[in-house]
Amino acid sequence: MQYIRKKINLENFTVRAIPKSVLTKNSEGKTIINTESPNYYYGTIPEFKIDDEGNFILTPFGQKIKNTIDVDIFITQNIDDMGMFTDVPFVPSKETLPEKPIGFNSFVYGRLAGAPVNFYYNDPFSFTGTTDDGLLGEVASLIKTNSGGNIFTPNVNTSYNPNIYNGVLYDDSEKTVYKIGANPNNVPNTGIKFTTLKNEFGKKVNVYDKNESYKITFFESDNGGRNNYNTSLSALLKKEEYLGVVFPPEVDSAVFINRGVADIFERHALLSEIKTTNDIDTNRGGFIRI
Amino acid sequence: MATGNYGTIRPADVSVEDVEIFYSFTPSRENVSDVQLLTLDPAEVLLPANNPNNVSEIFGGLYTLKLPTDIFGTKGYYNIIIRPKQIRTTIQDCAVLVDNQDVVGIVFDINSIDTNLQNRFENGNLVGYRVEYLKEETGTGQDKIQNLFRIITSNNRALPISQNQGNSNASQAYTFNDNSSSVFCTVSPSSAPSIKPNATPFIGNPQQEVIITNTFFDPVMLEIEMVEFDDETLAYALFSNQTKSLEDGIYTIYNFGNQIYRQYNLYEVKDQFSGKPLYEVREQKFDIDPTKDFDDITNF
Repeated sequence: MQYIRKKINLENFTVRAIPKSVLTKNSEGKTIINTESPNYYYGTIPEFKIDDEGNFILTPFGQKIKNTIDVDIFITQNIDDMGMFTDVPFVPSKETLPEKPIGFNSFVYGRLAGAPVNFYYNDPFSFTGTTDDGLLGEVASLIKTNSGGNIFTPNVNTSYNPNIYNGVLYDDSEKTVYKIGANPNNVPNTGIKFTTLKNEFGKKVNVYDKNESYKITFFESDNGGRNNYNTSLSALLKKEEYLGVVFPPEVDSAVFINRGVADIFERHALLSEIKTTNDIDTNRGGFIRI
Repeated sequence: MATGNYGTIRPADVSVEDVEIFYSFTPSRENVSDVQLLTLDPAEVLLPANNPNNVSEIFGGLYTLKLPTDIFGTKGYYNIIIRPKQIRTTIQDCAVLVDNQDVVGIVFDINSIDTNLQNRFENGNLVGYRVEYLKEETGTGQDKIQNLFRIITSNNRALPISQNQGNSNASQAYTFNDNSSSVFCTVSPSSAPSIKPNATPFIGNPQQEVIITNTFFDPVMLEIEMVEFDDETLAYALFSNQTKSLEDGIYTIYNFGNQIYRQYNLYEVKDQFSGKPLYEVREQKFDIDPTKDFDDITNF
């Protein structure tokens, strides 16, 4: 974070002009200032910009201009790489813990040695969202109406895979409720539930930049969170040699210019390219064959 | 070799809609207790400079802070903090991609985001944003988990897909679908340090509240000291025009524009019995005598 210190003199913004229009005579005939005049701002910093006569300076649209103290600043953005990360096999050093410790929270305490992966599972929870009606065709009957429209028959599995249930749960004049990817033996508690409204439409732009309308669809699932199907334990390491390295090595330069004529020096020059044993490996199959 | 690292400092061209500004005021350096941070609307006080060769193009880096005089017109110390805008939301889910089971990420619901901020959650717009986490337990004192953050490395609208179909315990994974209201974000780092390889690569919990912040610029703090005098005002007393009215003893100092800067009454204090002069006094006069206008006096 930058820390900038500035000193600004308020006198530069203080009004010192006394317009003639604010002058008046007192009972003794002496010229005094009418401090009640709306044009009198002497010694103050007005909220809006005024001219020497104490009148507001207006925009072309007749609006007063806010009086401001202007400070120029220079804002920058620091950019750095995040380096490379490497997966390595992880073998816990302790035996598996039989029970989750009371109050264990992996987010606060990090990885607990010996904790099996199920310690990190969450209880299933529900979540919802909206999408288009692109999956509605998956649950339509192959039989069509006379006009070619889709027919949605509840409780019919339209999936070609007998282990997966794709089908309509409910259908009326307002909406079609259906499940995609459910277990045929446990349809209510598995799969993603979609509700497509028949009379409410949304708009989108397709890949051809054309406007396209779709029936608004809600989806919901009760199977959110981590479980044995989406969670595993592994150790992710940041290797020291990759600190600050953005890309893995992709090209090895093995160029040596054969000068030809000075053959007696050529062999020495060739060997001068070899500084480490790694260079021997790098040049294997090139100029140097071992 | 195509290896290398990079790092640079670039002039920020952040939009004022992605900025938050706070300020505090204290009349003196000694009185810093009970400092209250107040907000300023960046759209009103922060003005980006335009490229002089192309007025519709932001210059980059250079911004003018237009501090309203009704707030910043008091002598004292103003601390102004300019920082990236924060978005508070809840993690909808933590899951993997259907076709890349090793890609774990966090899911947000666009519909839960303020309408004005939803465009930040479109595909790729969150890359580089920082995610900070709030504690799931309440009443622990500090609500924010300190010193912990993740950087979003990708974000795409994604639809949940029931994976491992046929198993009643199956959870959904995600597949990219631009018509979904859910956004799947990958984050980094998720690695453990080499000295503690068993530290968990945690990226958040479902239903956990988070703070998402852009990294479009580095925060800036300004300490602005508002003063009444500087070299120029002191120079008025030395070098500017002055008048001394012999009739009423009013001593007037003008600024370099010949406007009345200060007025003083000059008089003597005498012994009331002997009439012997005791003091010569110069006392500031706050009700300005307008007849001492310099141009009027010297225009004879």
